Amino acid sequence: MAGQIHSMIQSIITQKSKGNSVIANSVKTKMYLKGIAVDKYTPASPDDPAVIAKVRDIAKEFGVRV
Amino acid sequence: MAVKTLSLKGPDSKEIALQAQNALAGFDAKLVLFFASSSYDAPGTALQNAFPGASVIGSSSHSEYCGSSFTDGSVSLMAFDAQSVSDACVRVVEHIADEPDLRGTLDEMHSHFGGVEEVLADYEHYVGIILFESGAKAEEVFMDRLGTVTDVLFVGGSSSAADTGASLVYANGQSYEGAAVLAMLRTVNGYDVIKTQSAHIFSERKLLVTRSDLRNRVLYEFDNRPCGEVYAEVLGVPVDQIQNYFVSNPLGMVAGDEIFVRTFNQIQDEGITLHCGIPEGTEINVLKIGNIVDDTKKALDDAILYQPAGVINFNCLYRTLEILNEKQVEPYCALFGRYPSIGLSTGGEAFLGHINETSTILVIK
Repeated sequence: MAGQIHSMIQSIITQKSKGNSVIANSVKTKMYLKGIAVDKYTPASPDDPAVIAKVRDIAKEFGVRV
Repeated sequence: MAVKTLSLKGPDSKEIALQAQNALAGFDAKLVLFFASSSYDAPGTALQNAFPGASVIGSSSHSEYCGSSFTDGSVSLMAFDAQSVSDACVRVVEHIADEPDLRGTLDEMHSHFGGVEEVLADYEHYVGIILFESGAKAEEVFMDRLGTVTDVLFVGGSSSAADTGASLVYANGQSYEGAAVLAMLRTVNGYDVIKTQSAHIFSERKLLVTRSDLRNRVLYEFDNRPCGEVYAEVLGVPVDQIQNYFVSNPLGMVAGDEIFVRTFNQIQDEGITLHCGIPEGTEINVLKIGNIVDDTKKALDDAILYQPAGVINFNCLYRTLEILNEKQVEPYCALFGRYPSIGLSTGGEAFLGHINETSTILVIK
């Protein structure tokens, strides 16, 4: 399987920003600072379980569901 | 006049506060922000007494900026009236090394302005100032937690100290160690945030942080190898000379077009200590420091296309020492002399995260 990380990241950004581009950019940067290289993940990226778990934790911190 | 700036010197904090009170007679300050040389005792108390109707916040400093001047042993102060900042909510979070949950504090701050939905609906008018007491060395975890409980952008830095006196932050007439002062502002005309680090990518090679101790700010491994060895390899220098490159070649986390600088401090046992912890899994580039004056001018000129009410510059102490060393203080300060501005030499900078060797700048329109 592939693309789950990309999909989770996009979902977090969309839910948190609610269409505000400044907030979308800041959420993206906050994820980088938490150790997730956001732009590295594409729909073709393999589903690395460790990274998926980390992104899931970040979603929980932000209070959104992925 | 929506903002006034003052550069003050005197024998003690009471005299400074009296000078400020006289200079601001007739000016109805809503918020007073000051950066005071650590040589002054309890400046927060004296200034709060002088301006009982205002929220008064500040930080100790190694050296101070005001307009086109750079001084030490002084107090730089910016006062905002209701024409620039219509309301401010100040909170102090103590014992930040204990990594407190910030949700309650931020809920209170949002509620002060009618709730989080109200704040987000008028997002372009709300901004935060954050002042850390640098001794706690807990800024990166604090900024991470702050970023999860609010979307309001907080800009600021960590206190520094001169040869005498302690590193402190000030609010509500009190002095604090190991604390963070948060101020959420409702600006009248909005704001801009500038982050400029005069650091450029030295090598495109991405280094993956595979072993680090975020909380103790120690880096051990890049790509499962000793970080010092890999750093030396990227720079093309012998491992035993890497400490000579820590300031001129810091590390950078690159997020899109933005660089977040992390600076090595010293070699320690198997690792190297940093001025900002880095989580495992982060990809890092090695950077090189450029021309601070040229890069700052470009950053200011690109962002400030209007006459701002006030500009607040949180400038890394390393950058201050660099411009002093390069005899570039005058041209650097001339850039800020174009605006009503104050600043300090910081022990760390804050914007979205904790940063090193950077200038974070809040522009009040």
